[in-house]
Amino acid sequence: MLEIKSLTKSYGDVLALDHFSLELKKGEVLGLLGPNGAGKTTLISILAGSLRDFTGGVSFLGKDLFSDRSLKNRMGIVPQDMAFYEELNAADNLLFWGGLYDVPRADLKKRAAEILEMVELSGRSKEPVKNFSGGMKRRLNTAIGLLHKPDLLLLDEPTVGIDVQAKVSILDLIRKVGAAGTGVIFTTHQLAEVEDTCSRIAIMDRGRILAQGTLVELIRLVGEKDIVEITGEFAAAAFSEALVDLDGDGVELLSASDNQAALAVSDTDRIPKILDRLFRRKLAVTDLKIKTPNLEAVFLKLTGRSLRD
Amino acid sequence: MRRLWLILKTDARRHLKSPLTIIIYIIIPVAMTGLIGVIFAPSSGDGTLPPIRVVLVDRDKGLASRLFLGAFDAEQVKKMFQVTTAGEAEGRAMMEKGKASAMVVIPERFSLDLLEIKPVFLEVVKNPAERFLPDITEEFVQTTAVMLSAAVQAFEPEARGVRAMLDAPVDAFPWEALAPELGKAQKKIASAAKYLDPLLLNVKEEKTKAAGAKVNLTRTDIFSTILPGMAIMFLLFIVQTVMRDMISEREDGKLRRMLTTPLRPSELIGARILGGWAMGLSILLVMAAFGTMVYNAHWGPFGYFLTLVVVVSFWSAAFFALMNALVRNRNQAGVLSAPIILGFSLFGGSLMNPEAMPKAFRAVGIVTPNRWFVDGAAAVRDGRFPAVPLLILAVSGLILLLLAVPALRRRSTV
Ligand SMILES: Nc1ncnc2c1ncn2[C@@H]1O[C@H](COP(=O)(O)OP(=O)(O)OP(=O)(O)O)[C@@H](O)[C@H]1O
Ligand SMILES: [Mg+2]
Repeated sequence: MLEIKSLTKSYGDVLALDHFSLELKKGEVLGLLGPNGAGKTTLISILAGSLRDFTGGVSFLGKDLFSDRSLKNRMGIVPQDMAFYEELNAADNLLFWGGLYDVPRADLKKRAAEILEMVELSGRSKEPVKNFSGGMKRRLNTAIGLLHKPDLLLLDEPTVGIDVQAKVSILDLIRKVGAAGTGVIFTTHQLAEVEDTCSRIAIMDRGRILAQGTLVELIRLVGEKDIVEITGEFAAAAFSEALVDLDGDGVELLSASDNQAALAVSDTDRIPKILDRLFRRKLAVTDLKIKTPNLEAVFLKLTGRSLRD
Repeated sequence: MRRLWLILKTDARRHLKSPLTIIIYIIIPVAMTGLIGVIFAPSSGDGTLPPIRVVLVDRDKGLASRLFLGAFDAEQVKKMFQVTTAGEAEGRAMMEKGKASAMVVIPERFSLDLLEIKPVFLEVVKNPAERFLPDITEEFVQTTAVMLSAAVQAFEPEARGVRAMLDAPVDAFPWEALAPELGKAQKKIASAAKYLDPLLLNVKEEKTKAAGAKVNLTRTDIFSTILPGMAIMFLLFIVQTVMRDMISEREDGKLRRMLTTPLRPSELIGARILGGWAMGLSILLVMAAFGTMVYNAHWGPFGYFLTLVVVVSFWSAAFFALMNALVRNRNQAGVLSAPIILGFSLFGGSLMNPEAMPKAFRAVGIVTPNRWFVDGAAAVRDGRFPAVPLLILAVSGLILLLLAVPALRRRSTV
């Protein structure tokens, strides 16, 4: 349904998207994971048509996305900003934003009522939105993107800055929308969100996709290895040097920064050896954690950095 | 087209939800006209009234109450009012003894409330033994209060800044520590006040000369002459207040969201300009209606007047569309628009009679919409078709529009 081919976009010297390619099928819910500055918002903005000067192409429903304006009716966008009129009520906001799409007038009201029900705002639909809580605003922000029943829904960090309850309700909504046949791409920093919401996960950094697949497929990428996280008092360089002769011998250095490092080990019996090397160099270790493979480990392996910075 | 109407309809609905700003902007020009008219219209009969004795009770002793007291201190006003400040009990005693016609009480928190944009009440105690003079006092107090609150509204961002500092005692007010923005606001006020003063003097001088030539202005004439100048000045403020939305929506992501829908940039731009135009047009008509109701002002043939009003509001919408396309953000627009509008008004004859202005001012005035609107309104009042003002406003408005549209287009994509 959606085919992104080699999108490249730079802001001056910053390469925000670097030959980015991706495909999405009908009803698929894709979680796009990436640290700050990975290029997630840039991608969504290009697909949404609000960013120019890029190269590459996108085909949507078999047509060129950027040359056929009517395709915009088939796409719903939920931006990172809360973009609606605070002084109007939720229903009026839906009627306005929905009205910008080609939805028949008669359907518009009915759809607005349905959508308000779906995001659990029916009871307060006549209140000015400025009285809403952060979570309610997020829900409205999401609802606006759904009013015209798009075939593709793009959400940019739809769960940022809200409480757990609102988050759960938005993720539920995303799942429902996907189950109803709409393709969904949503961006996030939160591993837990993609783990049980998405049918497919893509990990991106520096404008590129590093890996994609189902949760199980991605975890297989780190193999059967366990992840060891070490905290202590050491310089990054000294740490890597200390373990250089273990490299390949069942130990893989995933990331090393000052006082913090992560390793993948084929077996936990490697750990005494690692500690031994560190002690010999007088590198102090204050904490050590062993983790079974999970998405976080995949992420760490692929990007060399932790998602939460 | 459907989307353009949808935007216009939604905007109208939004403005109707918080109509206060607009109402204030309609009331001020009418009230200011009243103030000037009341002071300078030849009074019926042989002329001057005795000064009215007023007792002022200042419970606030804040910034705004000082400004208010200052209003009574103006040279021309002094001729009408003889002001004594006193405590409340003392004031009542004076009134009972017939030593004062009215007492004005400035309540506590007057300054604070005003700066927080809350409604403020000034109390006017009238002496029941007198009939006429206390009413004039009340009228004056009301007008001044409206102007003061209008000023605070117009300078709302700065007012909030001042409010924050007001917890310091007024005498130790840290003027020099104020943000540069605030300094600018102060200058805005100071310059407006300065230019209002010569206006008063000029109208007065003209009157004495006129009397010598045996041309007697009536009250109505004075109102009809002053109101168009005031109206166009506040029209500019209102149009900009409405059109400033296009900057905020650029900043808060609404524009970007709109462009993800099938809405075309040209439809959006069209809606914004039409919206400002329609707002300006309706406001001017309301003001004119007020002028007729309150002061019995006459405007000349309605068709001519309407044409002039349509064209001048178009000009204003095009002008601010261009300005808002060029400025970087809302703050910049705020800082720029007040001086521009006051400048237009000063040179264009909104604040003083064009004939009484220095030559250089008049020369500069020809690039202002105020000048052509005031001229046009004068022509219409005399029953003439204002061909030249209309032509100039229409052509320059179109040029502004032609510049604004591509500039806004460029602004609507990143
Ligand atoms: N308008 C802009 N001008 C210059 N550089 C920009 C602009 N917008 C984004 N960038 C840069 O492009 C890169 C990608 O930014 P983008 O906003 O797409 O990241 P993101 O994945 O959405 O990050 P976040 O998780 O913080 O939202 C970053 O390096 C960013 O600094
Ligand atoms: Mg982002």
